[in-house]
Formats: sequence, C-alpha cells, structure tokens
Amino acid sequence: MDTVTDTTAAHARDDEHWLREYAREHVPHLLVIALFAVYPPIYGLLLRTPLSAEANAFLPGTTFLIAMLFLGLFAMSFDFISGYTGYLSFGHAAFYGVGAYFIVLVANGDVPGIPAGTPFVITMIVGGLLAFGLALAIGAVSFRLSGVYFAMITLGFAQVAYELVRNWNYVAVNPQDGPTLSGPTPEIGIPYVDSVSIALGRLAGDSFENVLGLGIDISATLTSYYAIGAVVLLSYFAMQRLIHSPFGRVMIAIRENEERAAAIGYNVFWYKMVAFGFSAFFAAIAGALFAAFSRGASPDETFYFLVTADALIVTIVGGIGTLAGPFFGTAFYEWLEDILSSEQGGLAPYLRGILPDGVLTADIAGITIADLINTVVDGRAPLFLGIVFVLFVLFVPNGLLGSVRDRLGNTVGKYVGGRLERYRR
Amino acid sequence: MSLLELTDVHTYYGESHILQGVDLAVEESEIVALIGRNGVGKTTTLRSILQLTPPREGTVRFKGEDVTGDSTHDVAGRGIGWVPEERRMFGYLTVEENVRVAVPPEADFEAEREYVFDLFPDLERFREKEARNLSGGQQQMLAIARGMVGNNDLLLVDEPSEGLAPLIVEQVVDALREASAETTLVLVEQNFPLAMDLADRFYLLDHGTVVESGATDGVTADDDRIRRYLSA
Amino acid sequence: MIGFGSSLAVFVDAPLLVDAFGRFFQPDTLARLLVEGLGKAAIYFIIAVGLTLVFGLMGVLNFAHGAFAMLGAYIGGVLLVVGISSTTGSGVRILLFIAVAAVIFALLTAFGSALEVGLVRPIYDRTPMYQILLTFGVGLILEETARILTSARGIQPEPTWTAAASTIPAVLDARYSILGANIRGFYLFAIAAGALVAVAVWAFLTRTLYGLYIRAGSEDAEMVEALGIDVRKAFTIVFGLGTGLAAVGGVFLIWDPTYGPSVLLNIDVLLYAFVVVVIGGLGSFKGTLAAAVIVGVTDSLTTWLFNTGIVPFPGLSEVTIFLLLVITLVIRPQGLYGIEEVGGH
Repeated sequence: MDTVTDTTAAHARDDEHWLREYAREHVPHLLVIALFAVYPPIYGLLLRTPLSAEANAFLPGTTFLIAMLFLGLFAMSFDFISGYTGYLSFGHAAFYGVGAYFIVLVANGDVPGIPAGTPFVITMIVGGLLAFGLALAIGAVSFRLSGVYFAMITLGFAQVAYELVRNWNYVAVNPQDGPTLSGPTPEIGIPYVDSVSIALGRLAGDSFENVLGLGIDISATLTSYYAIGAVVLLSYFAMQRLIHSPFGRVMIAIRENEERAAAIGYNVFWYKMVAFGFSAFFAAIAGALFAAFSRGASPDETFYFLVTADALIVTIVGGIGTLAGPFFGTAFYEWLEDILSSEQGGLAPYLRGILPDGVLTADIAGITIADLINTVVDGRAPLFLGIVFVLFVLFVPNGLLGSVRDRLGNTVGKYVGGRLERYRR
Repeated sequence: MSLLELTDVHTYYGESHILQGVDLAVEESEIVALIGRNGVGKTTTLRSILQLTPPREGTVRFKGEDVTGDSTHDVAGRGIGWVPEERRMFGYLTVEENVRVAVPPEADFEAEREYVFDLFPDLERFREKEARNLSGGQQQMLAIARGMVGNNDLLLVDEPSEGLAPLIVEQVVDALREASAETTLVLVEQNFPLAMDLADRFYLLDHGTVVESGATDGVTADDDRIRRYLSA
Repeated sequence: MIGFGSSLAVFVDAPLLVDAFGRFFQPDTLARLLVEGLGKAAIYFIIAVGLTLVFGLMGVLNFAHGAFAMLGAYIGGVLLVVGISSTTGSGVRILLFIAVAAVIFALLTAFGSALEVGLVRPIYDRTPMYQILLTFGVGLILEETARILTSARGIQPEPTWTAAASTIPAVLDARYSILGANIRGFYLFAIAAGALVAVAVWAFLTRTLYGLYIRAGSEDAEMVEALGIDVRKAFTIVFGLGTGLAAVGGVFLIWDPTYGPSVLLNIDVLLYAFVVVVIGGLGSFKGTLAAAVIVGVTDSLTTWLFNTGIVPFPGLSEVTIFLLLVITLVIRPQGLYGIEEVGGH
C-alpha cells in the first residue's frame, strides 16, 4: 500500500498490516457469499414451515435470485466504467446484447467459422472479447467527448445496434422477438471435461438429488444458480482487483480530475479505453449468462436503452463507484420485482389470500380493494423503484453501500487525492 | 460607517480553505486595490462579497447591512457591480443587449444607455455588434460599462489590465478613473505600479488573510513589507 | 458463410433501386417526401425546442422530456375523446384541438415549474449526472403512473388508443394534391403549428426582456445573477415552458398517423428529441429548427425507401436517424449551431 522507497522494516510492518487489512476487507465478501450460498436451502425449508405464505410473499424466489446474479454483474460492469472513471456509458446495453446474442447465434450455428458445438464457456469468453473490441472501436471516437456528450454518443451507438438487431432477419425468424437457443444446453465448467461441467437452464439444466446424502435436493434452477453465481463471483473479484490495482487508481484519478491525471503524465485516453473494454467484457459475460439461462435473447431485453437505464438505477440505489453496490441495488430491485409480481409468490396473491372477502370487494369510489391490489401492486415494481430511485438521488446520492462505507470511511476514492498529491512532488 | 466591511471572512472551495479570516473596509468614493500573488484569495474575496461563493464564517456588510448568505442577485441589486476576470461578455449578444441585461427592469434603460455610451463612445459605434467580435480592449470597456449601469455604488473590478496591450491598458485606466468619479472601486490588479497609481489605499493578501494595508502614497515594490509577499 | 453473405445482399435490391431512382426525381415524390418530412419536423421541433432551451440555460439534460410529451398526449386524448362525438364537424374539432393544446400548455407549464422548484432546484450544485438521473426517475414515475391509470381505466389495452386517434377531423385525415403529390392534411396542419411555435418562441427570446435574460443566462448564468437578475426565476420559467411545449407536441402526436397516445412515447419521443437537439447543437434554437427539418425529412425519405421495397430493412428510418446522431457527435460534437466548447457541461 505504499511506495517502493520504504525501508525493509517498514515493509514488514506494512505487509502485516496489509494482510490484516486484506482479511478485514474480505469479511464482508465472505458473509455475502455465504448468505447467497445458504439462502436457497433455507428458503426451501421456510416454505415447509407455517411461515410459508409470508416467505413466499416476501422473500425472493430462485428465478429472481438468478436474475439478481447476471443483472447484478451487468450493473457492476456499468459501474466499473461509469462510477470509476465518471464517463456515463449510456450504451452499455449494447455490450450485454453482444454477449447474449453471440451465445445464441453460436449455439444455433449462425456464426460463420465457429461450430455450433463450441463449449459455452469458450463462446462466453470469445463474446466478451468481441465486446472488448467493440468498446475500443466505440471508445476511439467517443472518448474525445465527455459529460453528456459522451453519454449521448454511446447511447447513439447502442440504439443503432438495437435497431439493426431488431430488424435483421438473419439473427432470428422474428427479429423483434429475438432468437431462441436451439442447440444443446449451455454448460458452465471446464470445456470438454464433462464431469466438471454443469448444464444451465430453468428446465433443461442438471439437477442433483440427495446431495452428499444430506437429503437436500438441488433442482435444475438451483444448479444454474450456483454455476452462474460462480462466474459472477469470479468476474466480481477480477473487476475488484483491477480497481484496487494501480490501473484502477488512475481510473479514479480520471474521475476526480482528468486534467490533473493527464498532467501527471498518464495517458488518460488509453486508460479510459482499456477500462471501457474491461467493463464491456464483463457486460458481455453477464449477457451470455442471461441468454444461456433463459435460452434465448430479445432486443428489448438486451440492446435496448432501458436495459442500461435499469443498470443505472440499481447503480445509484446501491452506490455508484462502489462496484459491489450495484449488485446489492440489483438484489433490491429483483426482490421488489418478486414481491410485486405474482410469478413466484408475491404480495398481491398474499394479500388476496389473507384479506377477508368483505375487504377485497369493498368499494372505494368505484374501485374495489381487489382491483386496487391488481393495478397498484401487481407487477408495479418499476413505479415503486422509480420513486425509491428519485428519493435516493435527492437524499442518498451515495447509495446504500456508498453511505455505509462513508460511515466506515474506506472508499478507495478517498485515498486518491493524497496519493496524487504525493506523485506530483 | 464604511460602505463595505468584511469581518473575519472564511471561504472554502469544497474542502480547500481559501479565505482564512479576511478583514477589510472600504469607504465611499475611494479606490481600494487588493494585491498579492496568484492564488492568495483576491478573486475569492470579490466572489465572497457578491455571495457567489458564500463565506462559511464571518460577515459581509454593505451600506451597513449584513448581506452574508443572501442570494447574489439580491446583493448585486443593492448596488454592487462586478467586472470579472476575463470579462465574461455575453458573446452572442450585441453590445447594447449586454448593457441591457445589466440595467434593472425598473430603471430607465434609455437614460442608462446614453450614460455609458457617453462615457465610452467606442461602444456606441459597435452597439449592434455581437460582443465576441469586439477587441479585448473594447470588451473590457463593455465589461466596465456593464458594471456601472443601474446606479451602482460599488464596482468590483478583477484584473482589468490582464492580457491587454499597454496602449489599451491606458484607455482602460482612463475608463476606470472616469468610473471612479461616479462610484467606489475595489480593484484586483496584478500590475503593481498600476494598482498603486490608481488606488488610494491597498490591502495586501497572503494565504487568505490581509497581511499589510495602508495608503498607496509612496509605496513601491521595493518596500520590504511588500517585496517579501509579492516576489516568488 | 453463404447464408451470411446472401442475407447481407437483402439490404439493397438492385433492380428496384434503378427503378426507384427514376421515381424519386419525379416532382410528386420529391414534393410528398419534403412536405411530409416538414410535417414530422414541425412536431419534432415543438417537442425538442424546450429540451434545448432547458439545456442551454441550466445545463440540465432533461430525461423526463419524453414523459411530458406522453402526458400531453394522454391528457389531450382524454379531453378530445370527451369533447368530440362522431357528429362533431371538422371545424369544431380543430378549434377544440387548439383549445386543448392551449389548456395543456398552461397546465403542464405550471407542472414543470413546480417540478423545477421542488425537485430539480435542490440539486443544481451537484454534477450534471444527478440531474440526468433525477429527471430520468421522474420520467419513469410518470410513465408507470400513466400505465397504471390507463390500464385500470381500461383505456388502453395495447399500444395505440384508437378512440383518441380517431378524433381527427376528416379534413386533416384526407389527402390533398400539392404539386401532383398526395399529402395528408394533418402534415399541413402540423407545419402551420410548428411555424407558429417557432415564431412565438423566437419572438419570446429576442423581443422580451426575459428572453434576453435567458439568452444571456445560456452563455453565463452566474454572470447574469451577478448583474442583479434572479436567474433561478428564469430557470423555473424555462423549465416550465419546456415542459409545456413538450406536452403540446404530445397533443399533436394524438393525430399523428405514426404515433398516437401511448406509454411508449416516453422513451421514443425522448430519444428522437435528443437526436434533434444534439444535431442542432445543444442549447441552440436555430440549430434545433434546422435539425428538426433534417431529421423529419430523413425520416420521411427513409420510410419511403423501405415502403417502396428499395431497402427491405424495416429499421432503416431508426437506424439512419441514430446514425445521424453518432456521426454528428463524431465529426462536429457541438452540432450545427452549438457553441464550440464541448464537454464543459
């Protein structure tokens, strides 16, 4: 954590300190990972207790958990560039779309030169590299601009891609709905080694019964959850290492004061380009996971502006420039979606179940309570999220994680000012 | 009662503590120069007076009234004109429109216009020209004119000679002298001899506080008390 | 490989192209494309001009702008449906439409002003990103509220609300022959309205004291404040007017053959308005006017190219328009008439 000119003794002391800090830093990580690992079985158990109605209504179901994972990764990749360099990537959905479409097109044998049977993991990484390259191409012309102009040009690129994909009948019979994955089930694991590969998918994936003789069944959905979770976790640690590396410090320096970073002698253009490339790479990984799990992709779920907007919203709610924050923001969003939709439990069926009929049919100005539940609660997550979002922008601009870290005082960005001052001398 | 009085003014830009307790007083119809090296807080002092960068501590009194924390247009409306660094013309507005913005809606625009055009005949010739097409000297004249209309009792002038050729500087100095006949002047000026020549009194700033002050008569850059703050 | 290549060839149909080339230079085709393009341009202009004024003065890129147009379309639609019966004559319909536009302008101007004071004002001192975020959130809430209300009232099962669109009077729905071209009356009506709005806004900016303050404030709001003018009041007024104008544009979309009231307007309109103001130069009135014409004519030209089958790519119009945005930002980021210091805001 310090310059190389330090004495050996100081080094030793520093190392010890560094280790302790490392451990301390990772305690929250371990807690979160453990929580996500044990949650599904606990959720499963709760559904068999008298509290099942409440659990079903107020706790997120597995489908939403999986969405949390890949959307969370996408939001983190968005924060990686937007939160750490200060350049709002308003076309980030394009990279997510590239990752998603690439998986489906390869699996369907529609990409020239890449056979349909290519293992998912390889396709996913190639798709990520493709997005990396696309980001460099877009960045080459976009990083001459800043502020709203950068946001606008990246948005423009993404919309061009969106309209192309949406109307190009090569990618799907009905391009507006997008292609479905018709090949074999995508597997996460070591390519070509069957025993360490896990098939993904809600219905078609691998499932395990009576794991380790503990009487725990792991459904296909749950298997996908752990496999996707592993990829997301790896991606998170990769991004986290990047941000804590000297490279990441330059990214933050660019955000804080680009002119100064340039004056110190950094080639800020290439730092921005590479950072953009990495964020695109991980966005494409997220897209690939999404497409593999849902066995298809549609333009509106991938390339569209609102996909970026969702990432932006959860990034603000979770805490911009905190990397993990957007993941928690996504978790919050998916939880809200689950509660407010009736796909897996949710508030509306719960209320309909526990409220007596007399209340449900009570008439208020021509609308019954049941109608009210149907229209104001069921499927209304975007409305409440919008309200939460505006409140956060106004009153909690640092987001959930940002505010917590402010209390504890250890956001990386805080150190940078002093660090740069030192480099100037 | 002084026209303008700053008491223990502390002003910050974000976390940087720029003014660290500035005290100064300006009497009616005098010319006061603020001098000091770059970055000691001269411009910030002017911005603090106008509440463009409101002080966190201390008070600014104008005509005996505490204006600290008031909104800028309010403070300006009490009779303070501002001729900012780099002039800040409305480049896409004509000369006349630039003057018009500065004249309060309730004042008589025609009269005010005649008043400044009499003072600066050059501006009258270019009244229909967009301000960005004026020369640097003409723009400085316009900036001063813009600060003077609307019956201002105090004019804050920031670096009026900056970036101008010597001949033009002379015109600007003349214009400032004309202005000083009508109003009180607070002048921030890098050109030390020029500042001493124009002003009646001076305040020397260093690290956000006033370190020297007094009458300008006979003060030269060789004075020990001046030199050690001005030389790099 | 073969499938890939042949699918690319589908983008342009060669024999048709030659044929179309001939047809394109016939005066009736040219006239029709131009007039329809101007009709579209008029509506784009009415919507986008508020966006550019708000950005010019306050540096706020208003992401709720599309939602304001959507509100105008819905509220206007309700008023028109209530006020117009199948027996209402064309003249009365048009008069009612104008009255509705005026009411909505007043209503939404007030709404926008309140929004500025209540929500936008507290965050002027933050980075521009937060203003984007806030306005986007407001747009989202408005969109969802509209979705809830329209679905609860059973007004709108799916995208187009035909009851509102069908209040269009026969005279505007009919086609007229101009230079041998068949042109829908609505486009002529829109051109007249667009011209009127352009003149009104231009007169406000250049002939009134407030307009002067707004033009000065667009260059340097702090300087205007330091000259004794309450710039925040100007902010409120401009945000209100921008909101009102967007809503009036929304009212026109009710009768527009390609739109009609819908929650989708929030984003669709927003993105097109962005294209227009960026091409014209953010903050420039003149630029917005010119860019609206460019986008409108491009829209009608590319739609024609697709409809005639010359370019059998359904997204041609959208792709071209977003490409225009990207190309403008690459070669001339300040837009046609923008001030050259780009990126400062």
